[in-house]
Amino acid sequence: MFGFLKGMGITIRQLPTKKVTLMYPNERPQWPERFRGVHEYIPELCIVCYQCARICPTSCISLSGARDDNKKMRIETYDINFEICILCNLCTEVCPTNSIRMTSQFELAEYTRDGLYKNMDWLYHNHVEHGSFRAMQAEKERAAREELEMPVQQKSDDRGGDK
Amino acid sequence: MTSTLHKEEMILNLGPQHPSTHGVFRLVVTLDGEQIVDADPVIGYLHRGTEKLAEGLQYTQIIPYTDRMDYLAAMLNNYALVHAVEYALDLEIPDRAEYLRMIVMELNRVASHMVFIGTYLLDLGAMSPFLYAFIERENIVELFNEICGARLTYNYMRIGGVKWDATPDWIDKVRRLVPMLREKVKMIDNLVSGNEIFLNRVRGIGKFTKEEALNYSLSGVNLRSTGFRFDLRKVRPYGIYDRFDFDVIVGENGDALDRYTCRLREIEQSLRIVEQAASQIPEGPVMGKVPKMIRVPAGEYYASIEGARGELGAYIVSDGKDKPYRLKFHRPSFVNLQILRKLLIGQNVANLIAILGAVDIVLGEVDG
Repeated sequence: MFGFLKGMGITIRQLPTKKVTLMYPNERPQWPERFRGVHEYIPELCIVCYQCARICPTSCISLSGARDDNKKMRIETYDINFEICILCNLCTEVCPTNSIRMTSQFELAEYTRDGLYKNMDWLYHNHVEHGSFRAMQAEKERAAREELEMPVQQKSDDRGGDK
Repeated sequence: MTSTLHKEEMILNLGPQHPSTHGVFRLVVTLDGEQIVDADPVIGYLHRGTEKLAEGLQYTQIIPYTDRMDYLAAMLNNYALVHAVEYALDLEIPDRAEYLRMIVMELNRVASHMVFIGTYLLDLGAMSPFLYAFIERENIVELFNEICGARLTYNYMRIGGVKWDATPDWIDKVRRLVPMLREKVKMIDNLVSGNEIFLNRVRGIGKFTKEEALNYSLSGVNLRSTGFRFDLRKVRPYGIYDRFDFDVIVGENGDALDRYTCRLREIEQSLRIVEQAASQIPEGPVMGKVPKMIRVPAGEYYASIEGARGELGAYIVSDGKDKPYRLKFHRPSFVNLQILRKLLIGQNVANLIAILGAVDIVLGEVDG
């Protein structure tokens, strides 16, 4: 009898506390920086070293590349089979140029199993939509701005030297 | 007269998709009225062949697979494999990495026991303790999400250290979480352990003695609940467990109630370790000096740790290559499950779920 009353006491104490449930489709979860969601892929950075395909425990990455006019390796196809990908993050760990990364995107529902076979375009689109695209753009703009500002500063220094 | 009476036995098929089996586990029970005459566990529905797959993978590539064995305590699985390889290579681990490992492992043990308490009570018909336990577990899982980017399949540890250092305020968050969890454990203790309905329901059922437990080679809480003091963290301190002050919790009667109380008390001990580790943690690197290609010297190595459910071991047979020749996991859930048939025979069918739940199995680990 006493235990029952204790239980009721705890229940009543819960009444004014805040709700912890997230109303998911309407409210989006805030993932931390290291969250391992679906990959993003940036073709310009890739040097076709095959390290991601080699380290993948489930062999879900397949890629091919060829040399372009400047004799540099260029990526031609890059596919990830998300039917068997376990999002273990080993591919991003070994990538020397950070061309494959994880995003905070986690919704990957498809009507067919073939739909989970994602190609380079989809992964790049993921980069633009959910990935580090904006951060990289901002970084580029900042670098460009600094490049513009640097000669101006040097000029003013030179002028100072002339005087 | 009664002995000559012909009794029709009924076969009841429990599972594979029964909510109280926490996975896909089938139990074929032969019933005589309300009495269980025979119980035949059928396992293998969740078999993914981890050990066979591991033979074709490098040691680092096996780590994500271990996450999927005991998915409620994946950090401990990570450590079991990593520890065995480090033991074979005789590697030096940086102090900070060891402390981070201890913190995440003990927090994971707390999370795993929280799931046990919640789901066990749910199986017995109490809904709200499940919700209370999962609210607390959520805090721990969120911390893991912050340090390694996943909520369940962590893939956090590497041979020679850990993948990531803690984020700047992560240790502070752990320090703040410990007293909060302690308070909540007290609340759950108050809510459940003081409840007469629960006590009368679980007291004295699923009972086994020390000798029986040893004969069935049980480990973990299932063994300690009988009063046998055996905890690998104390008996054979691996990692840096010898630097922490904690008690081994033992039961008396070896019944379902003792197993429940042992787990609840163990949460408090784990929190003690987390508190000490979080206050002592030094600065420094989180990854030791590891050869680029990890080749375990030819030979056989076995290293075991105290998992959330018992002795979790990894047995490596190596022929000197970068992949194991054979990798065998001593999975505590699988071993602990073997006593189930003995416990069930002669029991009332209403006690079936209460006994199965108290053994605390995870099917990912049973099937491997």
